[in-house]
Amino acid sequence: MLRSLYRRLLDLHPPGFRHRFADEMLSIFDQAREKRAAAGLLVDALVSLVRQWTLRPEFWQDVSPAPTTQAATNGIPTFHTIDPFRPRTAAVIHGLVLSTAVFCLTCFAIRYSWIHVLHVRIPEVPWESSQSTQPNPGSVATPTFEEPGAITQQNPIVQDSPAPTSAASSRLSQASVDARPAVEVARRPKHRLVSKSAQTSDLPSNALRPQDQTGIAQLEPAQAGPQAATVASATVPVTSADLKLDPAERQRAINGAIANLTKYYIDPDVAKKMADALLAHERNGDDDAATDGKVFADLLTRQMRDVSHDKYVVMVYTAIPMPENPPTPTPEEIARYRREMAEDRCTFETVKILPHNVGYLKLNAFPDASICQRTAAAAMASVNSADAIIFDLRDNPGGYANMVALIATYLFDRPTHLNDFYNRGENSTEQSWTMPPVPGNRLADKPVFVLTSPSTFSAAEAFSYDLKMLKRATLVGETTSGRGHMGMGHRIDDHFTIRIPGVKVINPISKTNWEGRGVEPDVKVNVADALATAEKLAETELQHKK
Amino acid sequence: MKDSVTDFLPLSPATLHILLSLAAEDLHGYAIMQEVARQSEGKYKLGPGTLYDNLQKMIQHKFVQELGRRPGDDDPRRRYYRLTSLGRGVLAAETDRLGEVVREARLRLQTAKPRRA
Repeated sequence: MLRSLYRRLLDLHPPGFRHRFADEMLSIFDQAREKRAAAGLLVDALVSLVRQWTLRPEFWQDVSPAPTTQAATNGIPTFHTIDPFRPRTAAVIHGLVLSTAVFCLTCFAIRYSWIHVLHVRIPEVPWESSQSTQPNPGSVATPTFEEPGAITQQNPIVQDSPAPTSAASSRLSQASVDARPAVEVARRPKHRLVSKSAQTSDLPSNALRPQDQTGIAQLEPAQAGPQAATVASATVPVTSADLKLDPAERQRAINGAIANLTKYYIDPDVAKKMADALLAHERNGDDDAATDGKVFADLLTRQMRDVSHDKYVVMVYTAIPMPENPPTPTPEEIARYRREMAEDRCTFETVKILPHNVGYLKLNAFPDASICQRTAAAAMASVNSADAIIFDLRDNPGGYANMVALIATYLFDRPTHLNDFYNRGENSTEQSWTMPPVPGNRLADKPVFVLTSPSTFSAAEAFSYDLKMLKRATLVGETTSGRGHMGMGHRIDDHFTIRIPGVKVINPISKTNWEGRGVEPDVKVNVADALATAEKLAETELQHKK
Repeated sequence: MKDSVTDFLPLSPATLHILLSLAAEDLHGYAIMQEVARQSEGKYKLGPGTLYDNLQKMIQHKFVQELGRRPGDDDPRRRYYRLTSLGRGVLAAETDRLGEVVREARLRLQTAKPRRA
């Protein structure tokens, strides 16, 4: 009875201990002749049981049995099994900490890696300090290709321009609506924060607000239909007819125009021709009959155009005196621009994958990258896995150079020099570069096609021209509009402002630009056929690659 | 063996007695118990649980080597154990240490006597 109890106690010991010593302990128990001694052994076994299970975890596991078959004879070699091994507690803790650290690091690495694989991440580009062209309040060159439209065409000179699409004007913010014919309203990139650009004027001559506000009422009919240009030009003189010009005012306007032309116009020779022409007409008394401000402004514009053939040189008359300090964009205007961009998906009209895994982006402007950066990044990310890319710029009237640089960034594997902006007035040149490569971007070596049309204007032409010069894209469609200069309004006095193209885009490869000529496509097809042609070209090129 | 013998000192009474009992000859567990009882004149009795617990640790520390069973023994379940050279070194070191303790103790006890007088 006691023996079986003792045996049971031995059986309850940890296997490592039991297998090794249970027989011997039972043997000792069997040697005990007295009951009292047996009871003591039972207590000893009980204590041992507790001790082994609580204090000796290293012996819980069964270890190799003792060399039972081997005779313990002196002189004969003996063989040993490997001793049971239990690492030090400190080593166990170190191992635990190390394993956890490695596990966490691996998880982080995987997560980090997946971000790169799945999402094209645009770094938070410090536009203000970047090498690339950015909206720089101190510079006239960079913000937009087309300067504040509000003063571009006060007169009906541009009636020879393409047919207006006045629908676009209805989307313009109040600040950007002006007294120009609807033609120009439509052509100007509607997605622009006008007063932001206006603030960049290097002269306090860009005071458009009163004119804008008076012009809005006049332009109401103009926004209604294609006949707007005529209506608008007819209504303007009504406002200004009350004010009569005297010879001194005319002289001041002519002198101011000459001074500004001489200083700012992009071509000094042409500027001198225009100045001489203005003086000659004045001496001849050609201006004497013009007592109406609007008529006089149109007259001067015509005189300048006759010798320069530059339709972007414009004399503007405003009946209401303009303040000397250019207006700055109000928070409301910025918010409105943001809202418009958000509603319009930053003018990314269509972003999709066409058959044969060709990415297609129809971009209807180049909006301010500082506001549309995320949208642009998302659009580019969604076509990141495409085998070729088609940029549809057929309805793109231009916009900001920083967006040109941002989108071009995805097409190169290194920062690439796109353009120089030469500012005649400041005699300075600013370079435009793409950003450093975007992590995870796969488009740097994919074929690119750009669709162009006669409506492709300004910054959109720059994008096309840059990629063509760099042999990075195939241009498909029709020759573009031909706007490679940027103008700026210069205030002469309370009523006269002259708009002068003063900044010239200079391509670093061709050393020139597309001003007046437009950008010629590589593959000339009708605008309507451009997309289908580009798709076929892409398909053919991809098949060749395979 | 990288551990110095002094690292194991002082020994517990059970370890000391087991090492001492194995110093003269190889013994099995029961014989060790009896030898310990003899050495201590019956004052220190070692139970099998304590004995084998200590033997287990001593084998791990390589103080003691397990020899296995001997044919022809009265009880075939018995295994014999032998002191290793390390075990002998540890026993010698412990003996020296105890000798120092005894010598120091005797010295102190001797110097204390006159004061009482």
